[in-house]
Amino acid sequence: MEMPAVRVRLTCALVDRPGTLLKTLEQIALAGGNIISIVHSRENITSGYVPVSINVEFPDAQSLERAKKGIESVGVPVIGSESLEKALRTVIVIGRGELGDLIRAVEGLGLRIVDASVRGSGPEITARLTLEVPEGDEGESAMARFEGAASSLGYLLVPEV
Amino acid sequence: MRALVNGYGFLGKRVARSILLGKLPGVRLVAVARSTGYLYRPEGLRAEELGNDLSGSPHFVEGSALVLLEDGKVDLLVELTPTNLPSGEPALTNIRTALSRGIDVVTANKAPIALAYRELKEVARSTGALLLFEGTVGGGIPLISLRRFCLRGDEVLTIRGILNGTTNYILSRMHFEGLTFDLALREAQNLGIAERDPTLDIEGYDTALKLLILANAVMGLDRKLDDVRITGISRISADAVALAKEAGMTIKLIGSVDADGRLSVAPRLVKLNDPICVHGTLNAVTIRLKTAGDLTLIGEGAGEPTVTSILNDIWEVVTVRGFGSA
Repeated sequence: MEMPAVRVRLTCALVDRPGTLLKTLEQIALAGGNIISIVHSRENITSGYVPVSINVEFPDAQSLERAKKGIESVGVPVIGSESLEKALRTVIVIGRGELGDLIRAVEGLGLRIVDASVRGSGPEITARLTLEVPEGDEGESAMARFEGAASSLGYLLVPEV
Repeated sequence: MRALVNGYGFLGKRVARSILLGKLPGVRLVAVARSTGYLYRPEGLRAEELGNDLSGSPHFVEGSALVLLEDGKVDLLVELTPTNLPSGEPALTNIRTALSRGIDVVTANKAPIALAYRELKEVARSTGALLLFEGTVGGGIPLISLRRFCLRGDEVLTIRGILNGTTNYILSRMHFEGLTFDLALREAQNLGIAERDPTLDIEGYDTALKLLILANAVMGLDRKLDDVRITGISRISADAVALAKEAGMTIKLIGSVDADGRLSVAPRLVKLNDPICVHGTLNAVTIRLKTAGDLTLIGEGAGEPTVTSILNDIWEVVTVRGFGSA
């Protein structure tokens, strides 16, 4: 069975010393990762560490895990691993609140509304939203938090099964 | 094998008649009971004695049929009283009493199994009595037996489905005819599909009880009603169903046990081409198995098909006890 490729943003805390980034990239390459881009946040240096975000495509989830272990083994802490895969999810929200509040809640969770259709009869509003959601656990957790946020704003959220 | 059918409503009448017609060789119907009293004849009841209302018979005894269990007058209790929340009574006491005396039990009453499965199973284990309850979930769809007999070598990862025909009827009418929730509910009540007090169905409790039974009996979990997150369908607007339809979906009340063992009952968007997207009063359940993958079963979830499940359970008791060839 062919495993799906995994696109992630790995954030590593590099010591501000020449050669550290190279060692990190070597570990990614050894694990089979294909580096897409590197963001070096030199303005965020804290106690001698520079956070570096590396967008990588790995052939499968196992090689991502191998890369993380490899990076840690050369003394570089991996402080973040965020999926870059996005899926489209449809939800329907029903309620009487301000739709603006709900949209702010969506955006605050790192989800993006790519399509919206609203119907209103009387004080109640019903909207269908198409959201761009990260793949995997991260997306599941963002959706669960969105459901909670919608509920606290008085909305019933109907997600896909 | 001497049988007591407890509960003389839609199911009780049909099951009693089936036994009297000799559909279950080896079973003798010695007692039939309802809430106010019972008929008991050790040599076996006759069809003409039962009628539409037991109390018309000169042999009718007022009081609880529990004495028949306590006195060991029967070998099998077929418990078909209506579901009662939150107590599960009187069925829970009847079943507990029977099992503790080694009397086999077949039931279609959801409450005792959903509320006290572990306890009842333990009592049954200690006395060697059988406890069968296929009729509690999915009417005529053999979910429990499927697990017990056909899927023993596999692991059930998740279960999800439509487990309540009443809400499915209401949501289907909203989808196909554009009815409001109130109108669709009223129509279902007029047709006898929804109860006068539809709370248990539309607020998701009926689905939650069935889901609990599946989680505990099919997946081997130990969950309580409080562990189920329940949202009903009374807030689903005609606009919501119309917006779903525009996107190639519809809204269904879905009960699900996820891979982490979390139970929820809530309205969900379902794609129209999803195998569980069935309409009218139909039920549909997808069982995800570790090795065999997804298995979806579709069928009528209530009414006459439930009789099939009950009779099959009785048949199993008869076979295990060796009365089949009698």
